[in-house]
Amino acid sequence: MDGAEEEPPRRRGGGALAVDLRRARAAQRRADRAAQRAASPETPPSRSRGHRVACENREPLECVREWFRLHDWTPFAFQEQVWTAYLAGESGLIHAATGTGKTYAAWLGPILEWLRDYPSRPRPKPEAPPPLRVLWITPLRALAGDTEAALRAPIEDFGLPWTVQSRTGDTPARVRARQRERLPTALVTTPESLSLLLTREDASELFGHLELVVVDEWHELLASKRGVQTELALARLRQFRPSLRTLGLSATLGNLDVARDALLGLDAAGVARPGRIMPGLVPKALEVDALIPETMERFPWSGQIGLRLLPEVIAAIEEGQTSLVFTNTRATAEIWYQALLAARPDWAGIMALHHGSLDRATREWVEDGLREGRLRCVVCTSTLDLGVDFTPVDRVLQVGSPKGIGRLIQRAGRSGHRPGAVSRLTCVPTNALELVDVAAARDALDTGRIEARRPVERPLDLLAQHAVTVALGGGFVAGELFAEVRRTNAFRDLTAAEWAWVLDFITYGGNALRAYPEYSKVEVRDGRYVVTSRMVAMRHRLSIGTIVSETSMKVQFLRGRTLGSVEENFIARLRPGDHFTFAGRTLEFVRVRGLVAYVRKSTKVTSVVPHWSGVRMPISPELAIGIRAKLDEARRGIYAGREMAAVRPILELQAAWSRLPAPDELLVERVRTREGYHLFFFPIEGRLVHEGLAALFAYRMAQLGPISFTLAANDYGLELLSAEPAPIHEAIEAGLFSAAHLLHDIPASLNAAELARRQFREIARVAGLIFQGYPGVNKSVKQVQASSELLYDVFERYDPDNLLLFQAHREVLERQLEQSRLGRALDRIAGGRVTVVDVERPTPLAFGLLVDRAREQVTSEKLSDRIRRMVAPLEKAADAPRFARGRSRGFRSGS
Amino acid sequence: MTDARVRLAGEDVLLLPERALFWPRAGTLIAADFHWGKGATFRAAGIPIPGGATRDDLERLDAALLRTCARRLIVLGDLFHARAGRIATRTLSELRRWRNERAELEIMLVRGNHDRHAGDPPDDLRINCINAPSFVPPFVLRHEPDGTAGRYTLSGHLHPGVVLAGPGLQRERLPCFWLTPRTTILPAFGGFTGLAIVTPAPEDRVFVIADDEVVPVVLRG
Repeated sequence: MDGAEEEPPRRRGGGALAVDLRRARAAQRRADRAAQRAASPETPPSRSRGHRVACENREPLECVREWFRLHDWTPFAFQEQVWTAYLAGESGLIHAATGTGKTYAAWLGPILEWLRDYPSRPRPKPEAPPPLRVLWITPLRALAGDTEAALRAPIEDFGLPWTVQSRTGDTPARVRARQRERLPTALVTTPESLSLLLTREDASELFGHLELVVVDEWHELLASKRGVQTELALARLRQFRPSLRTLGLSATLGNLDVARDALLGLDAAGVARPGRIMPGLVPKALEVDALIPETMERFPWSGQIGLRLLPEVIAAIEEGQTSLVFTNTRATAEIWYQALLAARPDWAGIMALHHGSLDRATREWVEDGLREGRLRCVVCTSTLDLGVDFTPVDRVLQVGSPKGIGRLIQRAGRSGHRPGAVSRLTCVPTNALELVDVAAARDALDTGRIEARRPVERPLDLLAQHAVTVALGGGFVAGELFAEVRRTNAFRDLTAAEWAWVLDFITYGGNALRAYPEYSKVEVRDGRYVVTSRMVAMRHRLSIGTIVSETSMKVQFLRGRTLGSVEENFIARLRPGDHFTFAGRTLEFVRVRGLVAYVRKSTKVTSVVPHWSGVRMPISPELAIGIRAKLDEARRGIYAGREMAAVRPILELQAAWSRLPAPDELLVERVRTREGYHLFFFPIEGRLVHEGLAALFAYRMAQLGPISFTLAANDYGLELLSAEPAPIHEAIEAGLFSAAHLLHDIPASLNAAELARRQFREIARVAGLIFQGYPGVNKSVKQVQASSELLYDVFERYDPDNLLLFQAHREVLERQLEQSRLGRALDRIAGGRVTVVDVERPTPLAFGLLVDRAREQVTSEKLSDRIRRMVAPLEKAADAPRFARGRSRGFRSGS
Repeated sequence: MTDARVRLAGEDVLLLPERALFWPRAGTLIAADFHWGKGATFRAAGIPIPGGATRDDLERLDAALLRTCARRLIVLGDLFHARAGRIATRTLSELRRWRNERAELEIMLVRGNHDRHAGDPPDDLRINCINAPSFVPPFVLRHEPDGTAGRYTLSGHLHPGVVLAGPGLQRERLPCFWLTPRTTILPAFGGFTGLAIVTPAPEDRVFVIADDEVVPVVLRG
């Protein structure tokens, strides 16, 4: 029961919208209760349709074919190819769009092998199933239950004595305890849970019978530290079990060979282990278009259209049976869900919201509803990018830029699973320029340009974490583990010096020469690195992984269920009685107790939506090239296709006020507003590259004289804002766009912009400097908590040679700023021409940067000179508690 | 070094960029929230924090003592961060060496919340520990601020800082002295301490520490 339901209904405002919302919310409550009743069972039901196949003493492949026949299926050629390769002991990478049979391509191999090796084995006792043979790694724990159900179906139909279970952060303690005694024959798990298993002292026995590791959705893991974590775990498993085979399942990428090499690692001689790259089904037909307002006047000059296309979105949803509405952020999902519900209150109960911060039971209810065709529409984020088929889905909408071709294919592929159907994706622009993105994406699709994903190289923070994991899981000898980790692609170039530093870091705290007697984590006993402290072991197990999130707080009804979680600093800004929108409802904030924010339902209409500081994805290089080409066409007066025709007035305005850049031209606009002097640059290389360029340009201009800049960047360009006019022409003369001295200037400018300091947050967490804690943290844990910024400052000051600091700088260079792209962008700019235009007011291209308030700073002025021009905000109302540390926390803490 | 001179409860005092307050008439240097041994506490928990913060703090303290010729040092609480750090041998031996070189200096600690957990400093450091509030006319000295007390209070605990905004959307987070009509809250002295951003009221005054200067801040609603 929700607490709010016991309160008498309140009358507010009146008006049609309020009435509709009340009705809508009543329906929503009914739907919520249904969701609660459908609370997830411990074991997901198998998908078996009861087509039993007797396999005793038969040719295994015959049995499998018969099983397919009973389902009215025929094995695809690529599936049989994978089975044969597997039975021949091969590893490899299978790539194809989601929903094309990759799962059974990988899964039936080990089943065929079992049928071959045990043709007439009597059924063993159910309490003693065969030990762990297959490990199935999935990137999202939300997918584990579904995968488990899909894997179980053939096991039941063939009557194998196997057990299939999953083990993730969501697995109930009871099941986990049982798994401590005995693991199932096939285990579905996440990279983090696998690392946790590796901390068990009997790890080598646990995996002693492992035949196959399947890494599902490998493209999702590949380009992140979670991918490296998987690589390290795989190296460990291959050490336990040299004959182990590995199959990766991936979407199609621009660099499949790299994806395969990272998955399979190197052999003892340092040579890439062999493995086939096996294409799955040819992609189905794919259509991409965009919603366009009927009248062009609906485009304001700035191009920002936000929710204006709501009626068109509703019409599109009505066209289909079941629609997915993808957004790029959770906040956008909340906003669109609210807007749709307000416009179509009759959809309450058949429309749902799905994103990563919502409670798990709610998400599962939504997923089931999608599968069963109960839902008309789901507003969602990337959490529904992956995994299982939602066959009823026949319409996919994408709010905002698709950002990349691969992502567009993936999202479009969520629809059209009915025979003969095409996959169709309709983009909903939130500003007019996104229509250019859509046109460019379609061009890239037609020419088959798909993005590559680059694996992370040598993250020492993760290596330190892994070394502690192995020290816990039976301990290690330094030289042996060094050889083992060098067999991963990520650490193939790890130097002996770096390894020695990692060992120092986990045993002496970073510098053996300075050894602090009070420090203890990993100890060396008889040449083996081991962990003996139970405290260290517990803390390590609780902080394994590489996913860094803001401290989040549970959002819960006063006497009722949990809705999900939002970031602590959002809650900290609220005062009791404030209203905000979350999980598709308006809530009134009541109070905070521990890590729980209590709320009650509210009938107020509010636009306050929690902000989640996730990574905002930049447009891909392939899409950037396409966008530059489209703008060039527009410059030459060519507006091909509906999208370009629609955005034409905006682009013509841009051309009239300033100009449209040619592909070999960098457009710079100068304008003065009340905020100060703005410089806008438009390289059109994606936000991360622009962040780097902004820091670099600001740094180089600041070398010419004392000046302070605030920086902003988006996918189209960057902005430098200063209180005084910036010496742009002087700076260009002095080599503002030169690719020379980059290796010096980039780190120097990054220091100023503090990107490295921010990057340190993740590193500090992964390397175990920050303990994120868990519910019920006690005083002794609070005493060892410090912000990563403070830690960064302390290291910079007292241990400047710490390799984790170097890693922070390197990561900013390589990943945050995509160094190679930055260098290429500068080469492109240096090889072309620069046009500086003075404009009277911000142009359509510049407007997006003006409304983006996430800004960085670069300065060459003395701090005290600068702050004399600054002001501090005054307390707004008299009701704020004096001397409170943080608004809602009261008077207590003092560390 | 540029200090700021202010008048509190009829006394002239100096706000020092060393993150301390000097009261010339009483020859007394006052500072809060040292959190000594915090790095050692982290290390004892298996978190490898480099040492050096304590030595830096001592050097800064020496500089302030030398500049002001103070005869007495009053610490407004949280001298030690936690028990584990207090007994860390390296930190202690550093402190003992420092204390021996300044045998004539009188040191007083007004106990704070961390001191209650960490315990009093060892006797040979010769630090006179008292419970708050302590009355040293005309000031009341305590760790946690209390805006309701009858007399003017000097306190710490908050680690106050402000975010300054400048032209061109500039932002700067700096530690500060926060002066209200009834109490002054000192910045945290220790180098390994964080900041809590505070919002002053119209009748308050705020002085930020900008490198080696103490600068008054313009407050604007």
